[in-house]
Amino acid sequence: MSSKAKTILANTRANLSGYNKLGSFSEDELFDVVDYVPSAAERTGYSDYSYWRCVFQNFAKNKVAMVLFIVFVILFIFTFIAGNIGNYSYDEIKPDNTQILIAPNSQYWFGTDNLGRDYWCQVWYAAQTSIKLAAVVAVGEIVLGVIIGLLWGYVRQLDAFFTGLYNTINNIPTIIYMTLIALLVGRSFTIMALSLIFFGWLVTARNIRNMVLIYRDREYNLASRCLGTSTFTILRRNILPYMISVIIMRLTLSIPGTIAWESTLSYLGLGLDASTPSLGVLLRNARSYFIDFPYLLIFPAVIVSLITITFYLFGNAFADASDPRNHV
Amino acid sequence: MNELKRHQDVLALHKEEILKGQELYKDRELILSAQDLEVEFTMRGDVLKAIRSCSMDLYKGETLAIVGESGSGKSVFTKCFVGMLDHNGTITNGQIMFEGRDLTKINNEKDWYGIRGGKIGMVMQDPMTSLNPLKTIGKQIEEAVVIHQGLRGAEAKAQTIKMLELVGIPEPERRYKQYPHEFSGGMRQRVVIAIAAACRPQILICDEPTTALDVTIQAQILELIRDLQKRLGMTIIYITHDLGVVANVADRVCVMYAGQIIESGTVEEIFYDARHPYTWALLGALPQLGTKGEMLPTIDGTPPNLFTEVIGDAFAPRNRTALKIDSLAEPPFFQVSPTHKVKTWLEDERAPHVLRPAYVENLSDIISNKMYTQPKDENVVEVSRKDYEMMDDFSDREVLMEVKDLQVSFGTKRKPFVAVNNVNFKIYRGETLALVGESGSGKTTIGRALLRINPISRGEILFKGKRIDGKIPRDLDLEVIKSCQMIFQDPMASLNERAKVDYIVSEGILNHKMYTDEEDRKAKVAKALLEVGLLPEFASRFPHEFSGGQRQRIGIARALIMNPEFIVADEPISALDVSIQAQVINLMNKLKKEYQLTYLFIAHDLSVVRFISDRIAVIHLGEIVEMAETEELFRHPIHPYTRSLISAVPVPDPSVEKSKELFVYDRAMHNYKSDQPGWHEILPGHFVRANQQELEEYKKNLVFVD
Repeated sequence: MSSKAKTILANTRANLSGYNKLGSFSEDELFDVVDYVPSAAERTGYSDYSYWRCVFQNFAKNKVAMVLFIVFVILFIFTFIAGNIGNYSYDEIKPDNTQILIAPNSQYWFGTDNLGRDYWCQVWYAAQTSIKLAAVVAVGEIVLGVIIGLLWGYVRQLDAFFTGLYNTINNIPTIIYMTLIALLVGRSFTIMALSLIFFGWLVTARNIRNMVLIYRDREYNLASRCLGTSTFTILRRNILPYMISVIIMRLTLSIPGTIAWESTLSYLGLGLDASTPSLGVLLRNARSYFIDFPYLLIFPAVIVSLITITFYLFGNAFADASDPRNHV
Repeated sequence: MNELKRHQDVLALHKEEILKGQELYKDRELILSAQDLEVEFTMRGDVLKAIRSCSMDLYKGETLAIVGESGSGKSVFTKCFVGMLDHNGTITNGQIMFEGRDLTKINNEKDWYGIRGGKIGMVMQDPMTSLNPLKTIGKQIEEAVVIHQGLRGAEAKAQTIKMLELVGIPEPERRYKQYPHEFSGGMRQRVVIAIAAACRPQILICDEPTTALDVTIQAQILELIRDLQKRLGMTIIYITHDLGVVANVADRVCVMYAGQIIESGTVEEIFYDARHPYTWALLGALPQLGTKGEMLPTIDGTPPNLFTEVIGDAFAPRNRTALKIDSLAEPPFFQVSPTHKVKTWLEDERAPHVLRPAYVENLSDIISNKMYTQPKDENVVEVSRKDYEMMDDFSDREVLMEVKDLQVSFGTKRKPFVAVNNVNFKIYRGETLALVGESGSGKTTIGRALLRINPISRGEILFKGKRIDGKIPRDLDLEVIKSCQMIFQDPMASLNERAKVDYIVSEGILNHKMYTDEEDRKAKVAKALLEVGLLPEFASRFPHEFSGGQRQRIGIARALIMNPEFIVADEPISALDVSIQAQVINLMNKLKKEYQLTYLFIAHDLSVVRFISDRIAVIHLGEIVEMAETEELFRHPIHPYTRSLISAVPVPDPSVEKSKELFVYDRAMHNYKSDQPGWHEILPGHFVRANQQELEEYKKNLVFVD
């Protein structure tokens, strides 16, 4: 044994004392040929990556987004319980003239409006309506948009049709459609939700379509076609899972977007009618009084901003976290 | 000393070459030296130790090849020399000395500018992405000329055109004004090399520069690199996973495994006197050396996980001659000769004498038996009477698949692009027909046309005598789906990343309800996985947990579960490391025997095909130019394109490879204007595409000998 090898062996023995395996063999034994174990050789050396775990890990790293998420959750829960902790009901009109337009105080936490209704209850009830609408519209938009986007991207024969349809609808400003619908069909929660869904799918469908084009001709889809897999199954199992980050991004952009749209439309008098308070309706009502009674504008405006900004930022962070390209 | 005795015959045979190689390294000047380098990457919170205490010396004016499987860290190692580690990687230990300076200490980009490009240049693997598509070729080279050679205006342009000439681009004046999309892959790689060379670097790192290229182009690029090195006196580091290429290009070889160099020596020492079991395995796995009907020696298993600490010799679990100590203590380097050192316990005095595998000993013999020797008069084809009598025209075999006058075109009706034209062939039951050609020759298109992925524009495709192109009845459609399957080229793209192996493998039987109940389905998946050498418990994992070779085997399991009769294998191994290629080829051969499968095997490399196929069809620009039985084609290549392909196959023997002459094919040699080419049977079962005049010439050159 060369002296160099000897010292190295001595060193390794010392280093390996933690494992304490080397010491249990004699020097001759150490140089025996051992049996070959196929399963040990085949044991994979690759990581135990899980898509969703990585999404949440990445998201949790973004502290600002986490805080915003918590703020949003608190706000969300609060909208549904705040009405009940208030002293009055949202549509209770005080017959007493002295009770109108009272500034916030211990009895009326947000003051009262021009009809003497408790503004606290109104604001939170309105926020509830807006969030409900946003949720319904967002889900509707995603479902419609994803279905159309998948077909648009994957089925070549449908491409021209959907491109034409997209351009036709998209080239006329939405505000014109909304005005026409409000004037001709009427104004209610359902009508508003349906009409927002009807125009909202466009962006989602286009995003999805562009993503589908990236994956459509990948070899694994060809493999599925060779195996006789139906187009529906290919879309569901091979394409849809890759769309998750786009879907999340659209979802999180659509909710604040819808709230903003609803406020705009209601403010213009094209949204919900005055009997169902929504944040937009409150803003419109506050229009005539806000110079003298600024709190009428401030409370709903702050809540609209809070919901849209927190949700938008948290949604963006989540969409980033769910993009597999960021899973490094 | 006993070691040397064991294969002294081999050594005696190559003694002169080995000595000559060692002689070259006496008193050589060191240009760069990496000592105990360690590199770590942080990935999703885990630490991956990519380079584990790796040392390497680089001598002035040499070509050093670094060989290893993907993931062995060879790219990462050399990227440290130019400060181009990915942002999540850091050098945690060691030093890189270059011009009296430690490169690991440089931590701002500005200091790198003087070194990167100007002193140490780099050529990347994929020429398709390493050029700017919006700038002309001339401008891109000129940029380097202006910055690094200090020339301006007309001078710089003249120098640029000289560079284009230097890298062998014809009509450099015209090419100067062209954009990258007007260049083929090989030409682009020449341009990339021209840019790197224009910086006048002392060291040029070539990171797998030919892996993305066709074999014929690869041979030309290798020649170019050798030529440039001689003319410009550069030192070259050549990174590759293919030992066949190394024999051609390198003076010295470092073999890398799991982030360490485990053997280094002159190219002759590595090829004739390898000492590490991993080097033996790499040599043995070369498909060029395979004998038909026998298994190729393979390196089983997969490389180790570098996220966890490696104890002992990293290769031990895959080593069939591992010693007990291998799994306990890391071996030191043993010096075999002044230029040759190896890191294995087998060199220790106490180690038993492990016989090196026969295929390593007989490397030269095997190669010389298989070499195609160009006759002295290069047109003459000598056919022995014995061979002639053995030839078979296959008239009595059952035809499984037949293609008649196939044409496939893409694009619009007004502006069609004909990808495949006038293709005729039959595939007999139980055989492997190989379809060989360069990229863009239409071989994949034919494969996909047979499986009805690409619609055809003319001709007929018959499966068991029934037409299957166009609209066909539902039951025939189902029958074809069940009996014809495909294996894909890129194991990274051919598996759905978001589905578990269980679903991927059972997709076919789920579609057609080919199982009785859930138990039965699971059993079928397990059986298919075992069949391809994977463990049944892999079913619950996702594809990204597997290495390239394992993923390719999952792809085979997916096709196999349908019990197909016919499989189109579309370059199933060209995206894999050479060491893994052997596993997949062996597997395909085994399955062929067990299930009487018929293959259409698409490839761009004749050396691989020789081992696996019964007949070969050579395709060039959408037309089949020659078709014959495998050995017949290698013995008597008639079409000039076939000859050029055969001469381009890299030979894993330095003495042969360094004196090899390339045969280059130019399509302009045919004059098909007045005399249209046809498809002729020149010998029984041996077809060639030629016009009347050429056919007569070919026939005249056929000389029958005893």
